[in-house]
Amino acid sequence: MFRRKRIKKVDNQNSPQQQIAKQQVLSSVLNDNLQVLRSMYQDCFDVVFRTFLMGGETKAVLVYIEGLSNIRELDDHVLAPLMEETGGKVRSPQSILREKMHISKLKEVKTLTDCIENISIGNPVLLLDQEVSGLALGIAQWEKRSIEEPTAESLVRGPREGFVETLGVNTSMLRRKIKSPDLKMKSMKIGRYTSTNIVIAYIEGLADQTLIKEVEKRLQRIDIDSVLESGYIEELIEDNPRSPFPQLINTERPDTVASNLLEGRVAILVDGTPFVLIAPIGFFSLLQSPEDYYQRSLVSSTIRLMRMLFMWISLVLPALYVGVTTYHQEMVPTSLLISLAAARESVPFPAFVEALLMEITFEALREAGVRLPKQIGAAVSIVGALVIGQAAVSAGLVSAPMVIVVAITGIASFMMPHYTQGLALRLLRFPLILLAATLGLLGIMFGVMTIIVHLCTLRSFGLPYLTPIAPLQGRELKDTFFRAPWWMMNSRPHLTGKYNAHRQVLGEKPNPEKEP
Amino acid sequence: MIEKGKISSFQMALIMYPTIEATALLTVPGITGTYAERDMWISPILGSINGFFTVFILYQLHKLYPKETIIQYSEHIVGRVLGKILGFIYLFFLLHIGSIILREYSTFVSVSFLQTTPPSVIIGGMVLVCAFAVRGGIEVLGRTANLFVPILFLLPIIAAILLLKDFDPKHMLPIMEHGMMPSVMGAAAPQAWFGETFLITMILPFLSDRDKGMKWSLILVVTIMVNFVITNLLAVFLFGGTASGYTFPLFTAIRYITISTFFEHLESVTIAIWITGIFIKISMFYYALVIGTSQWLKLSDYRPIVFPFGFLLTVLGCQWVAPNFEELNHFLVTIYPFYGSLLMTLIPALFLLIAVIRKKKRKKNFVKNM
Repeated sequence: MFRRKRIKKVDNQNSPQQQIAKQQVLSSVLNDNLQVLRSMYQDCFDVVFRTFLMGGETKAVLVYIEGLSNIRELDDHVLAPLMEETGGKVRSPQSILREKMHISKLKEVKTLTDCIENISIGNPVLLLDQEVSGLALGIAQWEKRSIEEPTAESLVRGPREGFVETLGVNTSMLRRKIKSPDLKMKSMKIGRYTSTNIVIAYIEGLADQTLIKEVEKRLQRIDIDSVLESGYIEELIEDNPRSPFPQLINTERPDTVASNLLEGRVAILVDGTPFVLIAPIGFFSLLQSPEDYYQRSLVSSTIRLMRMLFMWISLVLPALYVGVTTYHQEMVPTSLLISLAAARESVPFPAFVEALLMEITFEALREAGVRLPKQIGAAVSIVGALVIGQAAVSAGLVSAPMVIVVAITGIASFMMPHYTQGLALRLLRFPLILLAATLGLLGIMFGVMTIIVHLCTLRSFGLPYLTPIAPLQGRELKDTFFRAPWWMMNSRPHLTGKYNAHRQVLGEKPNPEKEP
Repeated sequence: MIEKGKISSFQMALIMYPTIEATALLTVPGITGTYAERDMWISPILGSINGFFTVFILYQLHKLYPKETIIQYSEHIVGRVLGKILGFIYLFFLLHIGSIILREYSTFVSVSFLQTTPPSVIIGGMVLVCAFAVRGGIEVLGRTANLFVPILFLLPIIAAILLLKDFDPKHMLPIMEHGMMPSVMGAAAPQAWFGETFLITMILPFLSDRDKGMKWSLILVVTIMVNFVITNLLAVFLFGGTASGYTFPLFTAIRYITISTFFEHLESVTIAIWITGIFIKISMFYYALVIGTSQWLKLSDYRPIVFPFGFLLTVLGCQWVAPNFEELNHFLVTIYPFYGSLLMTLIPALFLLIAVIRKKKRKKNFVKNM
């Protein structure tokens, strides 16, 4: 009960500016408008009010934020022609505006809310005396990062461009890939203070209408003060918020987004971050890299199978090592067992403590490597090699096999193409080690079964998380364990792309000899 | 309806496969071997008749009452009071068998590798994992079965391939040395296991493709029969008539696998795979128990009673079901074939008979009234 009351209170709290500005219509007296705006932008150093006489007689004001608009354009195409003396001829302000302004994107603003919105996205607003509406000039321009290769998901073969922090650039990159007008992009604003632009992109006729509605509904439900990264949105629209597994993919790659849109999925682009969310996804799409589709199918299929193997390794190998050396020594071939025992002889800790020690150190090392300034990166690798390496072994702290196990696990978790999934597996490794140390193989089985049961209960926007394995979709296995050659990829995934099942014409297998 | 999920009949077959096979792999070859000796591979074929019969009866009952389980339609068939009493007996039966399975599992695990671990931990851990699955509902059960069963299905086959060089097919000769009788006697245990197809009554109402339910149930019985025959043949080829001397012949056989001195002692891996099967088996009985109880008590949701029943199963499985494994095995050999068949096959058959007669009577009355 108390909790509900508190929530209600929070609901009523709106930011003060919004309350004043709501739907207040602009007045015809310029000074009134100016006064309100000035009081709102009080103590805002970056807001510029430029007063001038239009055509030598009408009083006018330009309001803009420094650094968000193209100043040169403002000077050359707005201020210069407007301030020109009309030479005695009496002309209405409208006609001056119509003839002299060389700007393609103009918008009339009638309320204060509109006014502020435009100013804050970088469109200077021109207010005139004796007019009840102002003009927003679409010359927003600010410093942005140029398009670079995405650092978190690099490929050997594939496009080298990645999304940037600017929404407009990102949507344009998508549009360049999918030129059909069926690619729809709906926009909305979330965040009381940030009012961040969010775009839902999908392909009409491919994506399920109910899915789009569901995404919209979940986004509209959000009432939060700020959205600084798509991670905020992700956590607010997930099906199972308490799961360690990601239920939306985030990617920096326009080609990944495009290929997912073409399979009937929905992308959510957030202004201010290069990471785009894709929904709904399954567990197995997290094991796929876009490069799988660009390399030869046989190679990609082998790599995919290897990735699955290493996913298991990254999850259970340390646990298995602890379990086997503690409880099931008979499983190890005798000669190997002897060398294992010899290596472990001088180690003072039980296998469990040893494993925990090494794994935690490794995680710390990795975290340090990610956060560290690049200049001292080399130092970390030197120190790391000492901690997880020969020095640790010769100091008698850990055994050499344990070092190998930790190293293989580390490599295995680096193999995961999606960082968020790698994180989940890293996290789940520790309870598994604990279970292995208490109940041996049985404990590992308990842990693995619990994880699998959990994965079976998960859904991503209604889509079962483990499709196409459970529930089984026989035809889609061609793009799960393997990557079938493109001439065999005739159908889209059933659960997301059933509305337009055929990807291409049938029978496109190249066969030059038979051609006339 | 309490259960909102839907599964396909293929998934039903996948759930039911380990539900019958998991414990059967352990003990049935031994029990059958006691009577049938080297003819023990014939017994599953005879036993499967009961499987076909049970599937037929329950499917017919399902057709008469398509949206209900046996706990619900028993009330319609034999009246409210008697129906409730029978429903209670069924629930008790499920609880009893569920805890027997847990006991078998814990005994096997502690004999194989966790000798000093108290059974309450072994059973409690398993029940906890099962409880998660049961809380997820039939869909989650179906999906986990989808993942685990293919591996489990291959287990006897892979074992057979790896043991190929140790096989001596002469062990199975002479066939039917003492006539049919020993194999018929030996079929008593497998037929009881085949009777466990009874549990499809708990799944049939939740199928998305009802018309295929019969087909997949029959395929299920055939597959299990083939797998039993392979398992028993494996035991015969390796041990001859002495297979009954081992409590767990299949796992003893797997212990023999040695390939180039590296690939040996596979029993731990085998047990790990087998645990996934027993997990589905326990979850299915547990699920049937929980769903049945909530239907019997007409609850609106079954989730609140999952953990209490888990506790009950753990306690029963640890202590009360049988004082020791010999007694349990004795129960499985002598009492269970009759106890199981009575509840899983005969009473449903009686239900079907009454239901059909009633229906005919109603039709006659209907015609008369016209």
